[in-house]
Amino acid sequence: MILNRRSLMTTALTLGAMKAFPGLSFAQARPLVFATFTGSWEEAHKAVLVPAFRKANADAAMVLDPMLSVDQIAKVNAAKANPPIDVMLHDPGPALVAIGQDLVEPYPVEKSAYYKDLISEAQEPMGPAPFFQVVGLTYNPEAVKTPPTSWADLWKPEFKGRVGITNLNSTLGTGWLVEIAKMRGGSEANVDPAFKALEELKPNLAAVAANPGALATLFQQGQIDISPGNFNAIQILKARGVPVEFVAPKEGAIAFKTTIHIVKNSPNRELAFKLIEAALTPEVQTTLMNPPYLIVPTNSKVTMGGEIARVLAKDTAELKQKFVFQDWKKINEQRSAWIERFNREIKI
Amino acid sequence: MGAVPASRDVTSYGMGLAAPLALFFLLFFVAPLLQLFWLSLHNDTAGLHWGLGQYLHFLTDPFSLSVLGSTLLLGAEVTAVCLVLGFPIAWLYQRVGPKLQTIIILIVLLPLLTSVVVRTFAWIVILGRQGIINATLQSLGIIDTPLKLLYTQFGVVIALAQVQMPLMTLPLITALGRIDPNLDDASCSLGAGSWRTFFRIVLPLSLPGVIAGCTLTYAAAITAFITQSLVGGGQMLFMPMYLYQQASTLQNWPFAAAISIIFLLAVLAVVSVFTTLGRMSRGYGGA
Repeated sequence: MILNRRSLMTTALTLGAMKAFPGLSFAQARPLVFATFTGSWEEAHKAVLVPAFRKANADAAMVLDPMLSVDQIAKVNAAKANPPIDVMLHDPGPALVAIGQDLVEPYPVEKSAYYKDLISEAQEPMGPAPFFQVVGLTYNPEAVKTPPTSWADLWKPEFKGRVGITNLNSTLGTGWLVEIAKMRGGSEANVDPAFKALEELKPNLAAVAANPGALATLFQQGQIDISPGNFNAIQILKARGVPVEFVAPKEGAIAFKTTIHIVKNSPNRELAFKLIEAALTPEVQTTLMNPPYLIVPTNSKVTMGGEIARVLAKDTAELKQKFVFQDWKKINEQRSAWIERFNREIKI
Repeated sequence: MGAVPASRDVTSYGMGLAAPLALFFLLFFVAPLLQLFWLSLHNDTAGLHWGLGQYLHFLTDPFSLSVLGSTLLLGAEVTAVCLVLGFPIAWLYQRVGPKLQTIIILIVLLPLLTSVVVRTFAWIVILGRQGIINATLQSLGIIDTPLKLLYTQFGVVIALAQVQMPLMTLPLITALGRIDPNLDDASCSLGAGSWRTFFRIVLPLSLPGVIAGCTLTYAAAITAFITQSLVGGGQMLFMPMYLYQQASTLQNWPFAAAISIIFLLAVLAVVSVFTTLGRMSRGYGGA
């Protein structure tokens, strides 16, 4: 997080420097730069996607520069004419911001060999979704004997002081709030019912974590027994021997599209396209679906297997039926007001 | 080792040697700061319309003011805990043999040798539901259900106090070391008891160290983003997290800039109170 603040500062300074010395932004030949996310994403992309891309493109030079979505947007914004990044990776909220600020190019759909094989929700003309992130219920099977089946289970009196959530800074927190609103008759445009529900959840709340990462570690500490959680984050904990299980609630697991975009004015447009194509191939997606990565594929030609087939979906049809996709355009309109309201109302 | 005259002004050396650092500060601190200020004077997120709207929004919003207030209060609490716990250690340091001195200085410095993140995670383990404190109290039969320590103001204060303790103890050790031990004896031989000696001689003479320690601890405690958010959790909002939320999640840079400027001014005000006290105490100490 220090890194984040620092890079914000750098960006601000760069912005200033660009204004003062416009000559700074000269074009320069450089390798393809792919800004993936930090952590397990970086590991997965370094081990699978990069080798696949190199193999298909005569060992073309490329660099992984992992950073958060907001940093990617800030960096590209600071040098729109000659962006330092060629390919961006985004959660649904930041993706819309990047598109709204005119930072990405439309994906050359007609040229793509794999775009048409993606399930329809993943076909985004401004940048397709090579992966899904899935949010469901996570629980400690040693403390919770009957697996939960619904979001409503979080409100059960037996979980008094055992429930963890995150605040709305994260995609997870905001997406979950919207799902609760829907459960109680609200929608992406009306989350009042969710805030009422949160009020009722307070006796059960043991923790409001600052981010999904901090939430996951609370299982390790025994601080919480049940919470909404990210499928992939839970697999990492599970692999480390922490007693946690993931279950898709009957209302449907929340699926976030992780979209991948060609940056506008990229000097490596063609290679950027090739990298995204590599990310969409059934081969890469199949490898990433298997352990230890367990990343949910979006190409309908991938046969689901392993843990994903067990707890999420056996095939594309079941996936479409069990996953809930949210309208982030609507969510983004009011998100800042919700964050403000959450700040004020949720004190435990 | 003669006592250094308190009135010698170390800044009276030529300024040339300070030029590289000054240039560095100008380029990487003052310039961004000015840019931050410039950004905060805009009413819209795109930074097109000039105005004081962001400041008005903050200063007329009871919630924002309460975040500022609770952050400044947090700093005060942490500083007080550090002072109360740190002073005896510094005092002890001056009165033990060299072997024990080495051990004390090692204990004081040890926290600085590990990363803040590691120290903070250690506190999560200690304060957690099944943490060391709760497990001990439960096994002793003192409590039935675990106490809620993590994600409370108490937890944040305790963790921050430990994390920032060296910043208080080190200036205190230096200040106490500069006091001539003969003064203690003189005070005693003139009939003052040990408490009287402490309050009339030791404490006033150590005030420069106290002020320096308080300033450092205070500034570090209120800006400690990592410890605040990990031990305090997502529902306890302090200024650094508020700022991060506005800048990073909401991309509302002008408001975030205004928050930083207001926070900066508030901290400067507190620090200048400390410095004024320090200047007064220097006069006192020299008398």
